[in-house]
Amino acid sequence: MSQTRPDAPSRVDQILDLLLDALLERQRARGERLLQPPEAPAESTATEPFIVEPPLPEPEPEPVVVEETEVAEEDESQQLQDLPPSPLLVPPGQMGRTLFRLAVGLLLFVVLVNVPITRHGVSLARVMPDSAALVIRNGLLLKSESSDEIYVLQDDRLRWISSLEAFERLGYRWQDVHVVEESFLDRFERGRPVHVLLKCKGSPHIYRIEREQKRWIKDIPTFEAEGHVWEDVRFVSCQYLRNLPDGPPIPEDAGPPPQP
Amino acid sequence: MNDLAIIETILRDRQRFFTEIREGIGLREKTRAMLVSGIVFFMLYGAVMGSTHSLLQALSSAVKLPVLFLATLVICSPTLYFFNVLFGSNQSLTQNFCLILTAITVTAVLLLSFAPIVLFFLLTTNHYQFFKLLNVAIFAITGSIGVTFLSQGMRVVSAGGREGARARRNVMRFWVVIYAFAGSQMAWTLRPFIGAPSMGFEMFRQLGGNFYANIFASIGEILGFFTVM
Repeated sequence: MSQTRPDAPSRVDQILDLLLDALLERQRARGERLLQPPEAPAESTATEPFIVEPPLPEPEPEPVVVEETEVAEEDESQQLQDLPPSPLLVPPGQMGRTLFRLAVGLLLFVVLVNVPITRHGVSLARVMPDSAALVIRNGLLLKSESSDEIYVLQDDRLRWISSLEAFERLGYRWQDVHVVEESFLDRFERGRPVHVLLKCKGSPHIYRIEREQKRWIKDIPTFEAEGHVWEDVRFVSCQYLRNLPDGPPIPEDAGPPPQP
Repeated sequence: MNDLAIIETILRDRQRFFTEIREGIGLREKTRAMLVSGIVFFMLYGAVMGSTHSLLQALSSAVKLPVLFLATLVICSPTLYFFNVLFGSNQSLTQNFCLILTAITVTAVLLLSFAPIVLFFLLTTNHYQFFKLLNVAIFAITGSIGVTFLSQGMRVVSAGGREGARARRNVMRFWVVIYAFAGSQMAWTLRPFIGAPSMGFEMFRQLGGNFYANIFASIGEILGFFTVM
């Protein structure tokens, strides 16, 4: 006959003890895993609250052990100082990949926006209405791509410079001439052409230079009717004037032009 | 792609990066990596800028923009080196070169980060002067940050030589001004980078005028002092 002793644990208590032991063992194992992260030795202090361990007897204080602990703590604090102030959200090496992807993406975009998309061969980058690069001001020199005529802008009107003679005598420079599309010139109204008037001392006649030809101006009323003023007349040698080919006189029915 | 990884070190751990330059650790590798990444980034940004005009301009700007920065680097680095030596620095020319290259690389990566914005404006605006000023502003911002990096690097690298530290700081400020002037003049010489829409493609434009007068004219146009079609 078996009798149970009154101070002996009951079967239920034994089972509970076994369960508790198993639970503690499992928690200890989990705590050890948390204590040994692969790349974060400094986290050991952070994970301590999650470790449940049975109370252990206080170890005997040994001077050597204490020194080692202090050195270890110093090393650890040094390591913590060396670490960046905040944890990196992006793992190291990720930025190189990000930059590479950004660069490749941009390259694709640059190629894409340069591919012609219209039947006129205009690409996406230039499909927006054209805009000019010129600061519009008095004295701006313009020339169309399709013509040799040069214009000077004055008071928002384009004035045709009727000869190279006029261009040079008025002090303009070739490097200041902007070549633009014909449609750009069409945006402006046309003003009076810019002419140069030549005369030599040995002759009473005045000639207007147009397209490298001299055009005889018949008389003073015609001169004034054309809007010329005496200040526009430049003096040159008669020989120079004679060397210029004759153009139609002004007015055109004035008859054959006299030679200077 | 390994060369691009150096950007992360420069941006995230610049103290260590500058310390390594001071110690002379891996200078050749660093220089090569910064050159490669800087050139690639500048090329991309140049291509974006030039795309406003034509494919030829995009290719031309892609070549000219790295040349602009590298030529300015070559022109200006001896000045910084010899003035620093004069005031007690113990750095080598290679260290100086590497430091300035750091500034240029930082500028390059920041330019790359601005590239999508520039691309966006390229596709949505038709105002040439605005686009030009936008790019000038971006270059000013990124260049300033690059020079700030250089200044920090100089302090770290020349931390050993206490003698003449104040004079070297002044040299640095003086050099930054020279660098800005030399860079802007180089940019003016190598222009166009964007390309005026009403003009044909030009590899180089004839000299004349200057960078600052042109910028003032553009600002005048933006503010309405001039009319620009």
